[in-house]
Amino acid sequence: MKLRSFTALLLILTMALGLTALAADFDAKQVITVVSREEGSGTRGAFVELTGVLAKDDSGEEKDNTYSEAIISNGTNLVLTTVADNQAAIGYASLSSVLHNDTVKALKVEGIEASTENILNGTYKIARPFNVVTNGELTDELAKDFMAYVMSKEGQAIVTEDGLVSSANDQTPSYEAANKSGSLTVGGSTSVAPVMELLAEGYMELNPEAKIEVQSTGSSAGVTGALDGTYDIGMASRTLKDSETEKGALATVIGTDGIAIVTNLANPVEDITVEQVRQVFTGEVTTWEALNK
Amino acid sequence: MSETGATTPAVDITVPTRPSMHLGSRFLKALCWAAGFVTIGVLLLIIAYILVNGLPEFFSRDEQGTLHFKASLFALKYNSRNLSMLPAILNTLTMTALSLLISVPLGVGGGIYLAEYAKPGSKLVKIIRVTAETLAGIPSIIYALFGMLVFVVTLKMGISMLSGALTLGTMTLPLILRQTEESLLSVPMSYREGSYGLGAGKLRTTVRIVLPVAMPGILAAVLLSIGRISGETAALIFTSGTGTGIAGINDSGRTLAVHLFKLQEEGRAVGASFAVAVVLLIIVVLMNALSSFIAKRLTKKG
Amino acid sequence: MRGLFLASACVCIFAVGVICYFLFANGLPFFAKYSAWDFITGTEWAPLRGIYGILPMIVGSFLVTFGALLLGAPIGVLTAILMARFASSRVVRVMKPAVALLAGIPSVVYGFFGLKLLVPFTRNMLGGNGLSMFVASILLAIMILPTIIQTSEAAINAVPNSYYEGSLAMGATHESSVFRAIVPAAKSGIVSGIVLGIGRAIGETTAILMVAGNQARMPTGILAGVRTLTVNVLLEMGYAADVHRESLIATGVVLFIIVMAINFIFSFINRRRVVQ
Repeated sequence: MKLRSFTALLLILTMALGLTALAADFDAKQVITVVSREEGSGTRGAFVELTGVLAKDDSGEEKDNTYSEAIISNGTNLVLTTVADNQAAIGYASLSSVLHNDTVKALKVEGIEASTENILNGTYKIARPFNVVTNGELTDELAKDFMAYVMSKEGQAIVTEDGLVSSANDQTPSYEAANKSGSLTVGGSTSVAPVMELLAEGYMELNPEAKIEVQSTGSSAGVTGALDGTYDIGMASRTLKDSETEKGALATVIGTDGIAIVTNLANPVEDITVEQVRQVFTGEVTTWEALNK
Repeated sequence: MSETGATTPAVDITVPTRPSMHLGSRFLKALCWAAGFVTIGVLLLIIAYILVNGLPEFFSRDEQGTLHFKASLFALKYNSRNLSMLPAILNTLTMTALSLLISVPLGVGGGIYLAEYAKPGSKLVKIIRVTAETLAGIPSIIYALFGMLVFVVTLKMGISMLSGALTLGTMTLPLILRQTEESLLSVPMSYREGSYGLGAGKLRTTVRIVLPVAMPGILAAVLLSIGRISGETAALIFTSGTGTGIAGINDSGRTLAVHLFKLQEEGRAVGASFAVAVVLLIIVVLMNALSSFIAKRLTKKG
Repeated sequence: MRGLFLASACVCIFAVGVICYFLFANGLPFFAKYSAWDFITGTEWAPLRGIYGILPMIVGSFLVTFGALLLGAPIGVLTAILMARFASSRVVRVMKPAVALLAGIPSVVYGFFGLKLLVPFTRNMLGGNGLSMFVASILLAIMILPTIIQTSEAAINAVPNSYYEGSLAMGATHESSVFRAIVPAAKSGIVSGIVLGIGRAIGETTAILMVAGNQARMPTGILAGVRTLTVNVLLEMGYAADVHRESLIATGVVLFIIVMAINFIFSFINRRRVVQ
């Protein structure tokens, strides 16, 4: 008897909890929930540089002024999930991931829509390279062949289909499978990982004896891993720093990705300026209604 | 007290005689029931939430509206479309087997030494006990650091199932060691004495007579270790990585727990992560059922 | 054979030795470059600029653990008393596997549950964005419940029935006897369960990572986010190099010392009681 009444109570409670998650009307007085990435993220590194959140302080040193109250989510999809679940949230994430995700919306930046065409014609300015990072020139046969595939017509077709801007043109060579074998570990940026997985799958279909594993741990982890041998090939979603190239890191661009500014679907804001982005992500502007002033 | 030779307990107990004390206790008892309800309630909430969201993920509807079981979720090869969890399941089995291969022989052997061979007050025993306690208390993130630094980088085992198994083996070692020792110590001396009386040597006595009686306790520790291994995420991400295929010893492979973590963090399908959560829950239920089953059978035998 | 068993036992010593060696060998050089005092009391964590202050994370860990204890210890101990002394054997037969099930659920599933249910609930009912110290504490409380319940129940069951019967004989009621005669006798076992719970709470990483917001600054409120020592290490471990990596290992050393200190304090208190 007790159990039955208790179970009933529990079901009611669960339903109540579920109901509270339902969306109410968008309230502009809400405090903006800023969602950012961890410090080692290439997306964050590129984002703060391109929007001015990274600025020189009084002593001339470059400082990342990301709002101290910003939620740190370590991974592209965690950012998207957080923004999708929270009406007042705003974040930034790899455009190629956002294009595959209809739970959030990408804002226009100064009237320009976030799309691969606009990155190609240069009007959407918040974009960064997807880099493959190696420790100097590659020597491993399998790694070299895989890179040839990535940069070939077939590889770049996969890159374009995934939502990146490819630098391929008519001169790009076609890939010829040579039935390579062995195993490779590719690790690094969580933004690059999805397209890298598709490339790896495509390669393994043409070379069944080969085994390529993709680890998504973060851009800086990709560079560190490439340099200390943990990864055969690293991935970074930003340009390399001087300190990294000094240690021997070599970057090859496999495509260009946009960074989308994403908000919740219930948010009426459609367009934002770069300056407003900077204000929000440094904490200068904290409510949605203050943004429009 | 001194006439009967009984000792006073080293604890302060008040024998309640005043009515107000009874009322207070009645209230506390009600609180106990409330606490029990909260505990069970929370469990039901978690299970209900995961099942309600996860079970539908195993099925898909076709154009006619008939329900089909998504066998692709259990395909042998993982790809970003089917998000198959079968490699992760197999990797979990591999990882568990490898880790236990390391911690069980060492833990049981060590426990046997401490319980049967060592001199009770010896310094060595004290040191071993302290270090086992220490090992047991170290947070898993430090094991992750340790595993990465020692096995992956320094010993150049790379990100592999082996690095992961060595790390988890070290993590579960103190559990098995301590439990083996305790279980062996709780076997009455009479068993051993009887065996010696019949002429058996120490080794034979320990292995043939004492160990079987201690088995339920040791198995409990093993099952607890299996639970820890299948639930571990942080330590494995940095040692055995997130490889998506069925992993051999030197390959990187993700276990179910790591798969769940990665799916909801970086995958583009959150629904699949609920499905993995369901599978993990089922595994926990099975392990617990297995553990109580074995415990019952063994105590019956003994 | 004896030698083999001895060798197995010594592996424990060896393992701890290796862990300590690597922790200290890689972590101590950090303190040559950065003062330990600044490290532990610094309130700013900005590794890419060479600033390593972990006080926000130390406070974060302590607050979250404290919150978990505040919720989990009373519920856990009371449930244990219920299972040991008040509930009928039929109820206990249902509760015991239930607690075991709670114990077996992996942290990642807890984190997932917290993220999908508790976070939106907190955001809608209590304000803030949901990724908060509040949710982290609740989640941790749930996670340490089974530890506290199982240890406390064992301790209460270990109290000789004579205590209870003696109290009844003196005229006390069933309930009073339980709370005044049995529970105090089980105190040290119950406390050891709570200490185990503290250990688990301080060491938890995955679940907290998913619900706590992880802002690297001094905690500002229950409904605001917080970063613990463990999450700090996890977030940056993958890419930290050189001094940064050493700072994370140094964080590990601090964690290690904290856990050791808690265990030491507890065994010290225990020893004193026995002597009395």
